[in-house]
Amino acid sequence: MTAGPQRPTLLSRLLGARETGLVLIILVLFVLMSFASPHFLTWSNMRAMTMAFSVEAIVVVGMTILLISGGIDLSVGSVTALSMVIAGLLFLSGVNPWLAALIAIAACAGIGAVIGFFVTVVGLHHFIVTLAAMVIARGLCLLGTGGRPLGLYDLPASVKWIGIGSLGPLPVAVAIFAVVVVVFDLLLRRATAFRLVYYTGSNPRAAAYAGIRTRRVVLMTTVLCSTLCGVAGIIYMARFGSAQPTFGVGMELNVIAAAVIGGASLSGGKGTILGAVLGAVLLSLVSSSLALLNVSVYWQDIIRGSILLAAVTFDHFLVSRQAAGGRG
Amino acid sequence: MRSISKTIRNGVAAAALLGASASMSGAAGLACAPGETYVMNVMVSAHPYWVPVFEGFKQAARALGCEAVFSGTPDYDITKQIASFEQVLVKQPAGILLHPMQADPFIEPINRAIEAGVSVTTFAADSPRSKRTAYITSDNVAEARFAAEEIVKAVGDSAEYGVLENPGQSNHDLRVTALIDYMQASYPKMKLVGRQATNQDPNAAFIAVSAMLQANPNLAALWIPESGSAEGAVAAAKAAGRRLVIIHADISPTTLAEIRAGNIHMALNPNQGIQGFIGFMNTFLGAHSDLIDPFNDWKISGFNPMQIPFVDNGFAVITKANADAFVLEDYMKGRN
Repeated sequence: MTAGPQRPTLLSRLLGARETGLVLIILVLFVLMSFASPHFLTWSNMRAMTMAFSVEAIVVVGMTILLISGGIDLSVGSVTALSMVIAGLLFLSGVNPWLAALIAIAACAGIGAVIGFFVTVVGLHHFIVTLAAMVIARGLCLLGTGGRPLGLYDLPASVKWIGIGSLGPLPVAVAIFAVVVVVFDLLLRRATAFRLVYYTGSNPRAAAYAGIRTRRVVLMTTVLCSTLCGVAGIIYMARFGSAQPTFGVGMELNVIAAAVIGGASLSGGKGTILGAVLGAVLLSLVSSSLALLNVSVYWQDIIRGSILLAAVTFDHFLVSRQAAGGRG
Repeated sequence: MRSISKTIRNGVAAAALLGASASMSGAAGLACAPGETYVMNVMVSAHPYWVPVFEGFKQAARALGCEAVFSGTPDYDITKQIASFEQVLVKQPAGILLHPMQADPFIEPINRAIEAGVSVTTFAADSPRSKRTAYITSDNVAEARFAAEEIVKAVGDSAEYGVLENPGQSNHDLRVTALIDYMQASYPKMKLVGRQATNQDPNAAFIAVSAMLQANPNLAALWIPESGSAEGAVAAAKAAGRRLVIIHADISPTTLAEIRAGNIHMALNPNQGIQGFIGFMNTFLGAHSDLIDPFNDWKISGFNPMQIPFVDNGFAVITKANADAFVLEDYMKGRN
């Protein structure tokens, strides 16, 4: 009688996970920063850091699922700004702010549907369609506001609460982010419809031959990404009490970087919500640490880029070693 | 009560211009010929900063019976602004009030315009090595010194302060470096504990100020060279439950509301209307230089006799007491 293949232990699975490398890097940074600044490992700093990255990380979740399905969205910054502008304009014209927020999120979902239509029905690439959407959404922001930021200081306190309020010790924005992460992580792991996202992204043709409606999957992930931009826009609007037509310029680069650092592949089929969140945490941690240490602004971009390159290289070698170990 | 309108430091030139226009407005020569057109050319043409500037430009144009046109590129792109400037030149206006995005790339286009008989005045940003006839702007150093004095008045002369900045934009850079230099020279016990680049982005400012507040429990004041970052800074202070003396340059509806609520100490806003009005007057006078024969070498050296190196349009101090005068929507009602 021969022994069957051994089931991997929890420890070996943990060590084999791509996220482990990122966790290690984040832990190292935590340890270094706790020595470098006495204010780093304080509750108020942790609260400030999680508030800082949580809203953008909601968009990272949407981008990660879209990347897994093989798409990409360059319009996330513009669509987030458009959500703020639509909700702001409606509020200023007398619409109930909660209804205004829902309409704005629905409008963002609509933009996602239009992008999805051009990708799945017309057959254009996500890159070019979302590039056009980025420009159009920014233009709509400028058109709607006349180029001027909207002052929304008079938003009701109940609306501002989602941007700056707390549920006990937990900031509301962080709570919303946590719910988004848990829901979509569970869906990606457990729900059949979301498992199809991986099959579609890793080999769309094979997925189609297997009977998966890949166009429907891509449409769904595109709409989801834009919808989460809408949600993020509403939280930003509540936090800052304003809607700037130029808000979110360059956001797409941060969001894509966080997702890719977290293990999502630009060619589709790979990625996890946990990895993406860790990528966003790492980016935010580096930014907050440089500010905390009051590093010269002229050095910050160089240091930030170098640390990120080092982190991704370290992670790459870690994953390569694990893959080699698995084969051996 | 605090004075709304602050210094016009090189006021002699400005006052001379205003006086000249007031006393001579009915005289022959100080009026436009039918169809005489002046153009204001900018980059990021949808930016709200231009709205009151162009309003001042139009008011001056109306007073002299001239046509006023707004032009520019919606992009933050030097090549596109130069293209829009050249498209304006094709139409041969009498003059152009120009905000050159960068100094040197505009030397040749400005000089070509001057040689073609088009008067060019720069505003809010300059091309000093070109042949433009005048430059009108805010005195960013004066703004920074004023802010420094206000910070010291509010928190004392031995406190901790921070700055946010927007590296690469010259007027913002000057506002920041001038304040730091002035503090070092005049109040050496004032300690600069935080300096972060937030580039007009409220979210970047929220992140930076959140960290700054954690690292510096005694941080008392912030100087911010624009309003976008001020929105993020005040949100961060509120989220951390901290009171800070925040002073910023420029104004937005949200920072105006925060000033009214007492969360922002004050804002220093360039007198945009004066910038547009005097900018027009300079451009007009550059196009009508036959009105003046000054005691200098203009005839043998060949420059425009209406040359004015620098005019300061002054700045307004916006506080809780006078905030109602700075609602742009109210100001623009009934104007187009």
